[in-house]
Amino acid sequence: MEHMTWMLRQAARLLPPERRPWAEALQAEAGQVPAGWPRLRWLVGGLVVVAREAHLARKLVYWLGLGAVATAAARAVILSWQQTQAADVESMTDRARILAGAAALLLLPWLGRRRGVFGPVGDSVAARLVRVAGCGAICDVGMVFVRIDSRSNVNDAIGGGTFSWPREVAGVVLIAALFVVPGMVRARWPRLDPAGLWSLTALAGVLVLAVAPFQLIAVLLVAGVYVLTSRRSRVMPATLTAGALAGLAGGALMWELTIAIRGQLDSWAGIFFLLPSMVLLPAGLAGLAVAWLGSDVDDPPAVREARFRQALIAGAMAGLVSGMVLTYIVGWFPMLIEGPVFGLVASAIGGAWGAGHPRDARPDRRRDMGLFVFKS
Amino acid sequence: MPRRAAFSAQTLAILAILATEPSAWRHGYDLASETGLKSGTLYPILIRLADRNIVEACWEQGEPAGRPRRHLYRLTSDGLATATAALAAAPAAAPRAASRAARPRRVAAPRPAVGQGS
Repeated sequence: MEHMTWMLRQAARLLPPERRPWAEALQAEAGQVPAGWPRLRWLVGGLVVVAREAHLARKLVYWLGLGAVATAAARAVILSWQQTQAADVESMTDRARILAGAAALLLLPWLGRRRGVFGPVGDSVAARLVRVAGCGAICDVGMVFVRIDSRSNVNDAIGGGTFSWPREVAGVVLIAALFVVPGMVRARWPRLDPAGLWSLTALAGVLVLAVAPFQLIAVLLVAGVYVLTSRRSRVMPATLTAGALAGLAGGALMWELTIAIRGQLDSWAGIFFLLPSMVLLPAGLAGLAVAWLGSDVDDPPAVREARFRQALIAGAMAGLVSGMVLTYIVGWFPMLIEGPVFGLVASAIGGAWGAGHPRDARPDRRRDMGLFVFKS
Repeated sequence: MPRRAAFSAQTLAILAILATEPSAWRHGYDLASETGLKSGTLYPILIRLADRNIVEACWEQGEPAGRPRRHLYRLTSDGLATATAALAAAPAAAPRAASRAARPRRVAAPRPAVGQGS
């Protein structure tokens, strides 16, 4: 019994400070419970309370996921060294891409702990799942790049070509402009239509991705995942969920299309329109759902604007996830750019419609495990 | 038909006991004995009720002989109104609350000094 009491006392340290008195209360009461099974059951219940309040299961799964991501990143780095030829300039670029992505995976959470922009991860299950799965998917895409280059035996087989400092600097300038210019435009012309401004910003972001080197894209993808899922992020869990699910659906549709009309996708229209258009429906629905489901008739314009932004994020995320799925399965990496473009367009339409057609006021739907139940 | 949030049966049982004598402070084992709830169920509910300012909690005053100080609970003034409304809206809980009110309680701790609450 003393062991159980000791375990409860030690486990209480896992709780945030404001919750620890409750664990101490359980310990204090344990002495009044009759010895034997009743006291043992009381202490076991106390451990359950501590595990639940400390979110132990969620944290354990999350850290296991991060371990898997670290393993995948290490594997990608090793493969980039083993499968490419050191004398090949394209191989050097591959290694730079992989190392830049792995460094971002390692360093950005550390930066996030100090500044809070990239982490720690948000409390929602969606944020944790998207962070772990997103980082893992980026590692997988890196391994796909290495695999394709190692088999193609042709320089410039994938995108970026040789490493170039001027392009890196230009990419950084473009990305900085992307973050600064919308704020300046808004301050200078406050009456500008916010939906149009955000749409243009999002499209400019995708264009920057198209111009910037792939090394930068790897870092941006990792940074994007961390920023979207950080505790300070204003992105709703519903947005992350809708974007991820729509992206998986879009990726599956694209994959089916590549199987169904394999020979007809080689044309310009097939690659740059028909294939990415599979994202339109899922991304549009995701944008519509995110903008519409949470809305009320009394929402002020600022709330509708925020909801439209959430829809755009869901659409871009859907396109990116679709692009990652297709890149992983068939190695068509330009979909990492095309997917977000098409996703943004579709979600802008769906989001504008959803934000402009609010739902009626809803009843209170608060819920908390063990405290409330729903009644019809 | 619109859906509305209501307290669970376990929460209602706790509220019923606390509402029988709102000014009295009760401790966890006392509540567990009367409701039959296990500690793993009772304390999460108490934590949520305290988070919503329905229940207030504080530590027992002084150093009792032979045992550690207890964590004590009672309804706040807002919590009493909430509990009364919830119990009135839940007919099934009312007889249980009445039967518990008729029974002599095991412990009715005196009001301790406030300021050491969690």
